[in-house]
Formats: sequence, C-alpha cells, structure tokens
Amino acid sequence: MEPIIEARNITYSYYGKIPALNNVSLEIKEGERFSIIGSNGSGKSTLLQILDGLIHPSAGQVFFRGKEVSEARLADGHFLRFFRERVGYVFQDSDVQLFSPTVQDELVFGPVQLGLSEAEALERAVEVMQMLGIENLRQRPSYMLSGGEKKRVAIGSVLTMNPEVLLLDEPTNGLDPKSQVFLIELMLKLNEVGKTIVICTHDLSLVCELNSGVAVLSEEHSVERTGSSEEILADEDMLLRVNLIHEHMHSHGQTKHRHIHSHFQFHRH
Amino acid sequence: MLERPSYPLREGRSKRFRRSFLDKGIGHLAGVIKTSFVQWEMSSRDGLLQGIDPRVKVLFLVVFLLLVTIKKDFPAEGAIALSVFVLAAASRLDLAVMYRRVLFFGFVFGFLVAFPSSVNIITPGHTVWPIVTFDAPYDFWIYHVPDKVGLTREGLLGVAMLSMRVVNCLSLTLLVLYTTPFPEITRTLKLFRAPDAFLVIISLSYKYIFIFARTVEDMYLAKKSRHTGAVADRDARSWVAGRMAMMFRKTQIRCEEIFRAMLSRGFTGEVRLQGFGRLRAGDYTAGAVFLLIGAAVVII
Repeated sequence: MEPIIEARNITYSYYGKIPALNNVSLEIKEGERFSIIGSNGSGKSTLLQILDGLIHPSAGQVFFRGKEVSEARLADGHFLRFFRERVGYVFQDSDVQLFSPTVQDELVFGPVQLGLSEAEALERAVEVMQMLGIENLRQRPSYMLSGGEKKRVAIGSVLTMNPEVLLLDEPTNGLDPKSQVFLIELMLKLNEVGKTIVICTHDLSLVCELNSGVAVLSEEHSVERTGSSEEILADEDMLLRVNLIHEHMHSHGQTKHRHIHSHFQFHRH
Repeated sequence: MLERPSYPLREGRSKRFRRSFLDKGIGHLAGVIKTSFVQWEMSSRDGLLQGIDPRVKVLFLVVFLLLVTIKKDFPAEGAIALSVFVLAAASRLDLAVMYRRVLFFGFVFGFLVAFPSSVNIITPGHTVWPIVTFDAPYDFWIYHVPDKVGLTREGLLGVAMLSMRVVNCLSLTLLVLYTTPFPEITRTLKLFRAPDAFLVIISLSYKYIFIFARTVEDMYLAKKSRHTGAVADRDARSWVAGRMAMMFRKTQIRCEEIFRAMLSRGFTGEVRLQGFGRLRAGDYTAGAVFLLIGAAVVII
C-alpha cells in the first residue's frame, strides 16, 4: 500500500545550531495508527510539525499522498487547501491552539478558513460538540476551561475540518485518568472510521493501548527502530538505550530494591 | 543533599513584613483576571438584556450615548439614569458592583474635573457659597476676579449636569458590557465597518492579556514560594526588569506558535470572521422598546 505520509532523510536544527532531527525517514500508511516515541528533546514534536508542513527541514523531503510538502508547494493556494483540509494537527499546549474568543468560534474557525458557508461550519461545530460532550461549553472563552476541556476543544477544532490524518502532539500529557481514557477511546473510534492517527509521546502505556506502528527516536535525534508496538515494547534493551524506560528504586512492603521499570506494564491485562 | 536539613524545626520570632510594590502590582494583575471573569459571568446570567442580540444592544448604546450628549436638562438625564437602573435590575446585574464603579469614575472624571468651573471666576452668576472676599475686583490674564469669590448657582448646576452625563455614559456602557460577552461586542463592531483584521487583533489581544496576566502571576508566585523574607524594593525592581525581558521573549515564541496553529487550520492571511444569525422577534421588540424610551427622553 502507498504510504499516506512519507518522510525521507529529514534533518533539522534550531537556529542552525541545536540539532533536532538527524536523517529521519519513516512511512505511515493510510488508516494506520502510528506512534513516534522518544525521550524529551529527541525531536518528536519537531518531526510532527515538519510532517504538517509548519516548519520545513534543512535537508530531506516530506510527501503526502505522493506529493511533496515543501514551502514552495504550500505557497500554492490549491495545494495548501488540499493539504490543510486533509491533515489536522493538535498541539501539545492547548492554549496555543485555542486562539478564538469562544469555544464555538474555535470550532468554526477551520471550516470557515476552508471556505465553508457559516451554516455548514456551524452544523459541523454542533456535531463535533455533541461527539465530544462539550455542548455546555459553547459560549465559554477558552481561558475559562479546565485542562481536559481545553484538550477536547483543541481536538474538536481540528475535527470540524474533517481531516483524513490527525497528528497529535503528546495528546494525553497533563490529563487526568478519565480524560486520558476518553481521548484514547476517541482516537480508536476515529481510526475505526478510517482516519490515520499519528501521535508523538513518551508514554509507553499509550503506545500499548493504541497498539500502533511505532518509530523510536533516539537521543541522537535519529530513528533507532521501527516496528509494531508489541515488538518495540518487548525490546527493553533498546528502550533503556533511548531513555524510555529506566532502572529505579522501588519499595515492595519493607524491601527496597532496584530494577528496570516501564510503567506501562502495570496496565497490561 | 540527601541528608536531613540541618535548620531548626521551631519557628523563629514573628516579624511583620511590609507588602512590596511587587505584591500590590501582581495583585492588580490578578484583579484584571477576576474582573474579566465577573464581566463574563454576568453576561452569561439569564436576564433581560442577556437574551437580546448584541447588535440591538450596541445600537441602543450608541443612540443613548448620543441622547445623553444632546440633552442638557435634568429631567431627561434623570429619565435615562432611571431607565438604565431598571434595565440593569431586570438583567439581574450586581447593582452594587456596577454602581460602585460608575460613581467612582463619575466622581473622578465628572465632579472633580468640572468642580473648579463652579467658581464665579469661570462661571459668572448668582453666588450661593462665598469662599474668599477681596478688597476690590481685579483682572488676571483672561479672567475677571470679583471682590467676592465663591461658588455660583449656575456653576454648580453645570457641574451637576456634567457629572450626571458622565455617570449616565458610564452606566450605559457598563450595562452593555456586563450583559454582552466581549467577543460579541467586538464582532458587533462589524456593523460600523471596522476592518476584520482590526477586530481579530482586538479579540486576540483581549484573550492573551489574561493568559499573559496568569503567566506573570504564576511566575511571581513561584518566586514568592522560594522567598523567606521581605524583598528590598531595589531587588524587586531588578527582578521585574529581568522578567519583563523574559516575558517579551516568551510572548514572541508563543506568538510564533499560535501563528503556526492558525496555519495548520487553513489560515492563509485572509481574515474571515463568523457573521451573525438573523434577528428574532424578541430582538425587534427590544429595539422598538428602546426607541420608544429614546423618543420619550427626547420629548421630556
């Protein structure tokens, strides 16, 4: 199957000095669940932003449905619309994403930018609000929402554009357990209806729950390994090498001892 | 660092610290957030004006502000003040909060500013309250100083009229502000052909003032949690200067991130604002009632 998103030999550095990605290549297939994992500072968020054409690599190429996503291509209005309509991005920090006055304005922003009529945009907004259970927040300004509510609205603001691909940067970060479960179920539900879900995270339990394809970024900002979540989570040496699991002290009753530890395993059934 | 701390576990002798200007300043900033919440909370209460379309309310505001400016007699100004009071009460506003602000600003910008004009040096007329008596009248620059300087009836009436007009303008504005969410007000400015880009900038600025205020407050609290004594004003000033530079950089980074968030949702630089729905029968009725009240004020 032709990949829906392909990154070829991506290299990126901040201000030409701080390396963020080093020769990264990966392929994501249509309808796939895909996780980009790595420790803090490994370049996950940068890679996700490059895949969304928000920043552009200093070397390498990104393709969406076989078409190159470059600064020059995105300057073409037709391609820009084609791409933005199909690929949605949910930022890690919801405050960045929620820039409209109220929740309803936030949800209609995307469709209105795509040229939908106000009635159509509003119809989509209502549908998404019902799906996410945020109808009661309709007229609420975003700075008066809780963390979980903000995340729902941020996802809603992208869903109203009805994208084929959803890129989510650390989606469960800072959310309470109930909101996390809601979000995981939502991602699975969206994937069931055919949307490609790409997340970046360092939360291994989330990777396990999503049961997705995985690319692991090393601390040297390159791809350490790709594979299924089962293969990746079973490779403890590799996870230890990239700092995703660690050895630390535990107490079991009165005894204290050290062993390799990956928190996600507590949740396995 | 892994050993127990060596400081004594008992508290030292109590000593009161002076509240620094930094404490007060940050307190005011927190006040900005709170005030915004009060405005939002009041505008979302179920009341008479909250249910009316913002376009009707903004037109009502403009028409009545014009009336306040045009009419120069007490019964008309009194009728407007009474109408505002009744509408505020019917909209279930917190009258104490609203009128405390109105009277404070009315006193400062109405009474205090106009009061000197009630002296007969500026407004000649019948002196009702003599202040100073001179041997003879004399002229100073463009003013004629009479032998008996005092407050005149005409001057006091002028001050009362100006104060009342300021109070009316303020209460009308607060009435609309407290019953309409701020974003709706900015959108209504579209009626007056304000450019969309301008409206987007206002809306974004309004929103980010509060995020900014919260960041500053959090930063200050983080600092405060690590302080054990009073901070000298000089140190506080130096801290503020350093943090201002840091906030500037933070804001710049956030601005870039938000712009990316806008781009990722299809923003191309062309501003498109959501318009308004149709006016309902209730909005037309409210508009007609406001016009009737306005006409009655003109006739008075």
